[in-house]
Amino acid sequence: MGGSFTVNHFLYLLQGVGWTVVLSALAFALGGVAGFGVMLLRTARSALLRRISFLYVQLIQGTPLLILLFVVYFGLGVVGIELPPLLAAGVSLMVYCSAFLGEIWRGCVESVPRTQWEASEGLALTRWQTLVDVILPQAARIATPPTVGFLVQVLKSTSLASVVGFVELTRAAQVVNNSLFTPFLVFGIAGVLYFALCYPLSRWSRSLERKLNVGRRQAA
Amino acid sequence: MRIRKLLAATVTAVTALWLAAAPVAAKADVLDDVMKAKKIRIAVAMGIPLFAFVDKNVKATGSDVETARMLAKDMGVELELVEITNAARVPTVQTRKADLLIATLAITPERKKVIDFSVPYATLDIIVAAPADIAIKGYEDLVGKKIGLTRATVNDSLVTKNAKGAEILRFEDDATLITALVSGQVDIVSSQTTAIAAINERRTQSPLKVKFTQQELNLGMAMAQGEDRLREWVNKWIKTNVDNGRLNAVFSSFHDRDLPADLTSR
Repeated sequence: MGGSFTVNHFLYLLQGVGWTVVLSALAFALGGVAGFGVMLLRTARSALLRRISFLYVQLIQGTPLLILLFVVYFGLGVVGIELPPLLAAGVSLMVYCSAFLGEIWRGCVESVPRTQWEASEGLALTRWQTLVDVILPQAARIATPPTVGFLVQVLKSTSLASVVGFVELTRAAQVVNNSLFTPFLVFGIAGVLYFALCYPLSRWSRSLERKLNVGRRQAA
Repeated sequence: MRIRKLLAATVTAVTALWLAAAPVAAKADVLDDVMKAKKIRIAVAMGIPLFAFVDKNVKATGSDVETARMLAKDMGVELELVEITNAARVPTVQTRKADLLIATLAITPERKKVIDFSVPYATLDIIVAAPADIAIKGYEDLVGKKIGLTRATVNDSLVTKNAKGAEILRFEDDATLITALVSGQVDIVSSQTTAIAAINERRTQSPLKVKFTQQELNLGMAMAQGEDRLREWVNKWIKTNVDNGRLNAVFSSFHDRDLPADLTSR
């Protein structure tokens, strides 16, 4: 027990960063795809589909991610459905992200003026063509800041996956601190590493906003 | 209408899958599986000082971890350490995410309802400690005070039951609890004697003193219910190695005390 912070400890934290990145990438990719589906359902013409997806979003948004992880990993295990940790974490994060991203994107799609839909209909575009060629390019610009904001949050939420056995950054820091008992140093370093992961995302968001905003870009 | 049909079909399919998958829970003998795979998955809860922690080279060690290594070696199989958190201990065994659990888990009637235990392989004194100037003689003195403990432990259930009116701060693992005490977030603690030593090493102003002993706990290795052959093997192994002193040697090398003589007959 005891001792001081060494290179080994730092490498251990970097391994934790690796898992944080993998889990976040899974959450972004799977959650993005599923979130797109949720958005389509939330803006569907059928009232039934809208209602079902509304219930789904309410249910998931009202459930802590930790509980979702527990239910998917241990709950399904009790009834005999075995999921490996990575799959369990992937599924939980996907479900969690899909509810939030779906709702964020629904808002963005609906904020595109109604007249755009009507004009497209006047041009005899199908609903899908309207969505892909007219609405989404405009909605994407509105969606960028809240989407990236949410992704940054998800990146930090992946620390909850330690409950299914992942030694990601936060858990790695806990394990190291548990043998050194120097919380300010260890968690300070973990904090800096988190920042190093999140800051590029925020920068990327800024550049994306500029790019998507071509029509209204002002001379700087 | 088509959508409704589709929905009905989906619900039927999911239900069928659920029912089909359920019997998998009652599967073949774990001891056989371990022997066949030449590998045993033993769960340890990293974050319990002296029982399971990382050394200078960030390798897992501690009395639980070394006991697991010794057991796997004697069984003649490879060891796969499953590192889990405190709160995940019982569910991990219940859902067979590990074959055996050696994670400072006390044998309690509540836990026996859902998992099976071996005979005790070690003990743990749980105590309430506080700085010298706070007068505490029993649970009744805790009312209205802040007390820190680790969630999902016997400390948690004992304090919750006996000290109604105390403000209980539940931390995720012993390490976090210790951190809270060292940084002065909380002054009164329900923990184990060895943790107090680790705390006082870093808490030089107003070190903690043991106020009273809550209970001496018997720690058991845990396995899923109905794995009687594995349990018998483990029981025999524990008895043999308590008698020949090997388990005590591992335990005392970390804890500076000996295991009680009547351990396995408790």
